[in-house]
Amino acid sequence: MEILFDALAEVFAPTTAAFALAAIGLNFHFGLTGLLNMGVAGFMLVGMYGYAITTQAGAPIWLAILTCCAAAAAFGVILGWPTLKLRGDYLAIATISAAELIRYLGRSQTLQPLTGGSTGIRGNEFKFTFEALSPFPDENITILAWTYHGSLSSSWWLRVVAWAVVALVAFLFWQLSRSPWGRVLKGVREDEDAVRSLGKNVYSYKMQALVIGGVICGLGGVLWSLGNSVQPDSMGRPTTFWIWTLLLLGGAATVFGPILGSILFWVSLVLVRQIASTVIPDTWLSPIELEPFSLVLVGVTLMCLVIFRPQGILGNKRELALNG
Amino acid sequence: MLKAIPDLEGILTKTIDRRAILRALIVLLVAAGAVTAMSLLGSASAAAATSEVAAIAAPADAAAAATSIAPTEAEPVETTSASTGSNRVVQTLVNGIVFGLLLALASVGVSLIYGTTGLSNFAHGEQVTLGALLTYFFTTQQEVSLPLIPVSFSIGWPLIPSALVAIALAAGTGWIQDKFLWSPLRRRKVTIVQQMIVSIGLSLAMLNFIQWWFGAQRVRLTIISDERIDMGLFDIGQITLISVVISLLCIAGVGYFLLRTRLGRATRAVSDNPALASASGIRVDGVVRLVWVMATGLAAVGGILLALYDSGTAFDVGARLLLLMFAAVTLGGLGQAFGALVGSLVVGISVEMSTLWIGTDLKYAVALGILILVLLLRPQGILGRAERVG
Repeated sequence: MEILFDALAEVFAPTTAAFALAAIGLNFHFGLTGLLNMGVAGFMLVGMYGYAITTQAGAPIWLAILTCCAAAAAFGVILGWPTLKLRGDYLAIATISAAELIRYLGRSQTLQPLTGGSTGIRGNEFKFTFEALSPFPDENITILAWTYHGSLSSSWWLRVVAWAVVALVAFLFWQLSRSPWGRVLKGVREDEDAVRSLGKNVYSYKMQALVIGGVICGLGGVLWSLGNSVQPDSMGRPTTFWIWTLLLLGGAATVFGPILGSILFWVSLVLVRQIASTVIPDTWLSPIELEPFSLVLVGVTLMCLVIFRPQGILGNKRELALNG
Repeated sequence: MLKAIPDLEGILTKTIDRRAILRALIVLLVAAGAVTAMSLLGSASAAAATSEVAAIAAPADAAAAATSIAPTEAEPVETTSASTGSNRVVQTLVNGIVFGLLLALASVGVSLIYGTTGLSNFAHGEQVTLGALLTYFFTTQQEVSLPLIPVSFSIGWPLIPSALVAIALAAGTGWIQDKFLWSPLRRRKVTIVQQMIVSIGLSLAMLNFIQWWFGAQRVRLTIISDERIDMGLFDIGQITLISVVISLLCIAGVGYFLLRTRLGRATRAVSDNPALASASGIRVDGVVRLVWVMATGLAAVGGILLALYDSGTAFDVGARLLLLMFAAVTLGGLGQAFGALVGSLVVGISVEMSTLWIGTDLKYAVALGILILVLLLRPQGILGRAERVG
């Protein structure tokens, strides 16, 4: 019973919302436009650094969010400028390297006064502006079986805001993907040359998609950091690969795919860990081995998904052929 | 039977012609020259960091873009006061060449696989780790165990037989991978992008499997300490020297195979045009299988030698090297086996020499900065043919 409640808590956890948001950002890149962005974690890290550092400098929350968006957009422009003219896998290699570059810079000793080095920025140094806005009482609140604080750290307030943002962005994605603009993006995904022959500037459309998706990923990073802290090492390559897995699980190019994928991903990760720890005896699989064991399963899931069901749960196979 | 071969010979010699090698040498010399000049000036100011990045980006005047990777508030962590400037420059240069040669063993595999199948293999880093940790598994006196089997035992063979068994096993994983994963995928006409994401899933699974198997701690392959030999301007470890010789032999072997043997010509034919190669009677699947075995075997050799060079290895060593390999391969020109060697040397030297000015925790970042600059300025790489990519 407890296992079930733990797993169900993941359904509306802030981390789930943050990953869903980042996956919607990736959906703009990959689902709509066919861009292979392997640097999602880099966009998230840039976004959360932008937010946290601005807040530390004493800026109000709207300025911090604006900085986060600007930083993520600038990161997208810098990355896209050389690589969007090249073949797909060049963008993949460039984005993954740029994301790692940001992580190395963030955790380096030289930038420690700004980014806090490898320990990152602790929660109490940048969360206060967000927590001050909370309308909820300053105490633990229990709803059904779950108890969280009203407004501090991983709180009910953060849950409400995070899912509201996810809903808003999902709506935005739905509207944009069926607008004329979205149809051009889908055209770029299917056949770049055909779109070019219609007189559209493919490069510019790709850049717009990269920047919009990147900003959404950055906001996802801010949500993540509000539930945890700014931690460069938790935004490494595995995070990017998880987001890819959950996007492909839910179904790329769909509105609810990223959200469903994120919920399923986190619920099943918790379920696997809990069930494995109760079912498999300690001598076979000790508690420290549990984490790598469940992540092996994530990797295998990603492989099987791509091979057997590339359109995911909600996707349409005919619409989405992974080609590059 | 192999009518396409003479033409291929021409293409290959044209692509690695003197001009291209000269260009690579100029890049190296300009970088080395700039680095020496900087150190002679003895400036340890923050400005050093910016100009140093520009020096590495020597393929063209890229100073404008340098700001994107140069830390604005760079403070050199290590100062040059400990030893005389020239000694330290030569020493890091030698370290860089050694690191580059060892890295080349791993990157050649990435390049060969890309050349013959078009796949950017994200799981290659784990193959490097696998070679090193399998050697540890056979050679260590500590208790080891297999995952899920609650029995621990110690094998404790000498280093060299363990290394040979590990290389054979690692090459075997390459054969198994191609037999049961990649070749069915190719037959089902799964697109390259899909295959790339499959390799990402495989890398995630293998990385965590290795961590599950060996744990997260750093381990040493041997307790023998690396005796330093004084060479005047620099010193070099005895084991390191042997490693360099082994690495050179392997690379020369690959070169001989590709340029002089029938099978090597067939490999080059496949990487130039698989359909034509198949039509002229080459067994493309067999060649690709061989390339996978070679690539994973070389990665294992590289992993073992790097573990000896760094006097230690861990489950994530390969994952950290993967992007350096991509940097090297892109720098040399995707799919060019010899480009990988040149690229690895450039990456190795710039990674090691960057520690003269910026913190060691940023040295890998330098290589990634180079990679982005190369994509910006010369996406076909130093040795690649100038053609439209994309």
